Amino acid sequence: MAEAHKILATIKTALEAGGQPDGHNHAAAPAPARKVAVTAGAERAELATSLARELEAVGGKFVGILSPDEVSNRIVLLAREIGATTVAIGEGVSIDMEEIGAALERADFKIVKTVPVADVERAAMRDRVANAELGIAEAEYGIASTGTLAVISTGTRPSSLTLLPTASLIIVQIDRVMADLAAVLASLGPTRLAEHRMTLITGPSRTADIEKRIVLGVHGPKALHLIVVWPRDE
Amino acid sequence: MNEVQLFSTCLAEEFFPEVNDAVATVLERLRVKVIPVRRAFCCGQVAFNEGLREEAVALARRFLKSVEPSKPIVVPSGSCTSMLKIFYSDLLVNEPALAEKAAAIRPWIFEFSQFLVNVLKVKYVGARYERAVAYHPSCHLMRELGVRNEPMTLLSAVSGIKLCELRDREECCGFGGMFSVKFAHISAAMLEDKMARIKESGAEVVVANDCGCLMQIGGGLSRAGAEIETRHLAEVLAAR
Amino acid sequence: MAASAKGDFFDSSRAAVQDHELQRKLESASTRHLDHFAIVKEEFPSYEDEKTAAHRIKTDAIAHLDELLIQLTDKLQDSGCKVFFAEDAAEARKYIVDLVKSKGAQHVVKGKSMTTEEIELNPALAAAGIDPVETDLGEYIVQLRGEGPSHIITPAIHLSKEDIGQLFTDKFGTEYTAEPEKLTAEARERLRAIFLAADFGITGVNFAIAETGTLVVVENEGNGRLSSSMPETFVAVMGIEKVIPRLEDLSHFLEILARTATGQKLTTYTSFITGPRREGELDGPAEMHVVILDNGRSAMLADPVLREALNCIRCGACLNVCPIYRRIGGHAYKSVYPGPIGSIVSPNLFGSAAGYLPFASTLCGACKDICPVKIDIPRILLHLRWKETEGEHPLKWPAALERARSGARRFAGIARHPRTARLLGKIAAQMLKPFAHNGYLRWMPPPFGNWTKYRNFPRPHPQKRRPAPAENQAP
Ligand code: SF4
Repeated sequence: MAEAHKILATIKTALEAGGQPDGHNHAAAPAPARKVAVTAGAERAELATSLARELEAVGGKFVGILSPDEVSNRIVLLAREIGATTVAIGEGVSIDMEEIGAALERADFKIVKTVPVADVERAAMRDRVANAELGIAEAEYGIASTGTLAVISTGTRPSSLTLLPTASLIIVQIDRVMADLAAVLASLGPTRLAEHRMTLITGPSRTADIEKRIVLGVHGPKALHLIVVWPRDE
Repeated sequence: MNEVQLFSTCLAEEFFPEVNDAVATVLERLRVKVIPVRRAFCCGQVAFNEGLREEAVALARRFLKSVEPSKPIVVPSGSCTSMLKIFYSDLLVNEPALAEKAAAIRPWIFEFSQFLVNVLKVKYVGARYERAVAYHPSCHLMRELGVRNEPMTLLSAVSGIKLCELRDREECCGFGGMFSVKFAHISAAMLEDKMARIKESGAEVVVANDCGCLMQIGGGLSRAGAEIETRHLAEVLAAR
Repeated sequence: MAASAKGDFFDSSRAAVQDHELQRKLESASTRHLDHFAIVKEEFPSYEDEKTAAHRIKTDAIAHLDELLIQLTDKLQDSGCKVFFAEDAAEARKYIVDLVKSKGAQHVVKGKSMTTEEIELNPALAAAGIDPVETDLGEYIVQLRGEGPSHIITPAIHLSKEDIGQLFTDKFGTEYTAEPEKLTAEARERLRAIFLAADFGITGVNFAIAETGTLVVVENEGNGRLSSSMPETFVAVMGIEKVIPRLEDLSHFLEILARTATGQKLTTYTSFITGPRREGELDGPAEMHVVILDNGRSAMLADPVLREALNCIRCGACLNVCPIYRRIGGHAYKSVYPGPIGSIVSPNLFGSAAGYLPFASTLCGACKDICPVKIDIPRILLHLRWKETEGEHPLKWPAALERARSGARRFAGIARHPRTARLLGKIAAQMLKPFAHNGYLRWMPPPFGNWTKYRNFPRPHPQKRRPAPAENQAP
């Protein structure tokens, strides 16, 4: 990379010419990941409510705060409500998606399960996810102040799940809902971030490109549903 | 504090001498002695804004020689005040001796309304003005000097005045010094909208604290044959 | 529109101020923008603190750009990216075009990116026989019209829904509709098919995190997500100034960017991309390239005043509040980057054709007030005006304006001698007196001829005696 060195040298010279305020080395040292503070029940409920309210403000749909036992049935209902026939589903972070998938299958929905793919299967898998009317994923975090869900993609939880289907359902554990973006980024930490693709999702896909009128569902999902789950042991 | 220096500014001297008289009248009523700065004519803003640094430095030098240190300098214009108070430090980067002088007088420079409200701590100056008035805040006054409420504070205390709401009042009138000549077409488009807002406000008189804005708005209203007058804040405060 | 497009700013802005329809569109759009912004700002008490933090971090990052870029490059390479530093637009274009060719790519999709507009990538790809598809709805619309964006955030802001409806009918033969919902649905349908077939994706970058080698892309529609995750090859194009040191710095920027840009709290999608896809993953490219572009930025870096402009996070807010942008729209600037920030960067990135832009401002400061990273735009414009005037190749102004400039110069010369100035003032007043009517002149000789084309000029009347005070009652 001869060019890189040349340009970096130019930049260095330019910095010196323009005056550098201090000489210390500024390359950042990795900051240690902050501990996730355990929040009390009442506060959790408050954060979850704020998450729901903010998400609804940007066109998201809040299904409810549910106990783990209620989740499967509620999702079957939701899939019916939106008239889905095919549902794409990946692996959960902490929630048992198998159980949800099984419940949907029992209710006669076609299930697309995202599993790690070889290169030759990629296009076909994507098509199947894209043809689903509903994609279900679990978020790693929720952000109360902005109505945001942070999803991290892996081989079994691809980013496509929250992008290609017509509607998206995101589930988040109540104790993963944090006050603001800074708290989420701190809890995540640079090392974890660098291992995967992460997407912050704040509402359904939208545009305001035509006369600043907000229209939902440009390239991504037209609707975004949210379920907050209470932990099993409470 | 019973003595101030009044720097008229070139626009006021040449086109709006009544502004200087009004400023003096108001200040004298408040028992402040007014000493005009006769040895300087222009702060150099026009040259400075045009990129003519050398010419502007010469004018700054002249100005700095003409004023006494440690005595308030009152200026009836928001943009000239920002030039003296703020932009001189940019202009004089390569002139350490002048820059030092400019820095020394900086705390003594006040725009007219700023001086009344923040230094003399007055609101009511004994004025009576029974007309419908819209106030146009000049850009430099608001955004460089941070003088946002003072003029309205003074105006609301004038007896008999009717203050009219000017929609989008914080939008520039389009003057901008040489901009008004070089990009006259854009300047005029901005003026057009400003005048439309003025007309819909129902005001008989538009008030501003900057002779540049008065020139622009006054010239526009005059061309349009509108009956609306333009006045400097000092003129309203001097009336009774 | 190409940065080097023919015609000058005077002609284009003259035409634009006549276009009242354009002004109506810009006015309603920006008012809506500002209303949103006001509400959001009110609900977010820490806005000012976040602005201060963002300003501090960015200024510091720019001051250590060389070290941060080295760190970023290392991390990008560790994550499996190929990094290319491009000195100028031509190098960047060549790299990308060669790459597209070497991959034999058939379908190139682009997410919204002003940097690729800056380097005029689309015409270069077209010349190589590849037709890239812009997938941001606004960009898609202007691409269909064969123009460039007229705003850095909302590219089609100069068009009405009727214009767009007609465009779709003309291009696709579909039934005419001016409903944004239907037009958007039509575009979705067409672009979805293209996305699924795309083999080469290109996007811009909003922030690059040095400590992790993560690229952050913000958007609302999903075009950025799709362009960066569907194709086998993905190229991200970023200016050298996009790098920030740490992950923990990022929240300060994200908390203000959407708020000022669109009045949202966060944009719908914020993608954090660190390297190509991993083994077994469904999404993400097999190969990822990052083009890091200088193209005049390091020259801005060398100037301590101009350097501040590299803090810009391209939120577009300064355009929305600019009274000049709102009268003439983006295309009149004849530069990829219009508005206040455009008037600063354009002359530096594209050279003298844009040299008039720093002068085309009243320095009203509305931009500086709203800028989320506190760039003192008027001060930088002034700085550019001197640089231009004192530089080796001063601009050539149209004759009448050159006269106005030398008029200003002469005036400054005279004003140094107050007595002479006052005397000349009196002489002028005497000469002009017979022509005045109600205190104004309808016509003035050069250099004020341009003034009196549009409004009257106040009659000079210097005098010592105090005239009668303002009438305190209507006559
Ligand atoms: S200069 Fe400031 S307001 Fe303008 S686009 Fe850049 S960040 Fe936004």
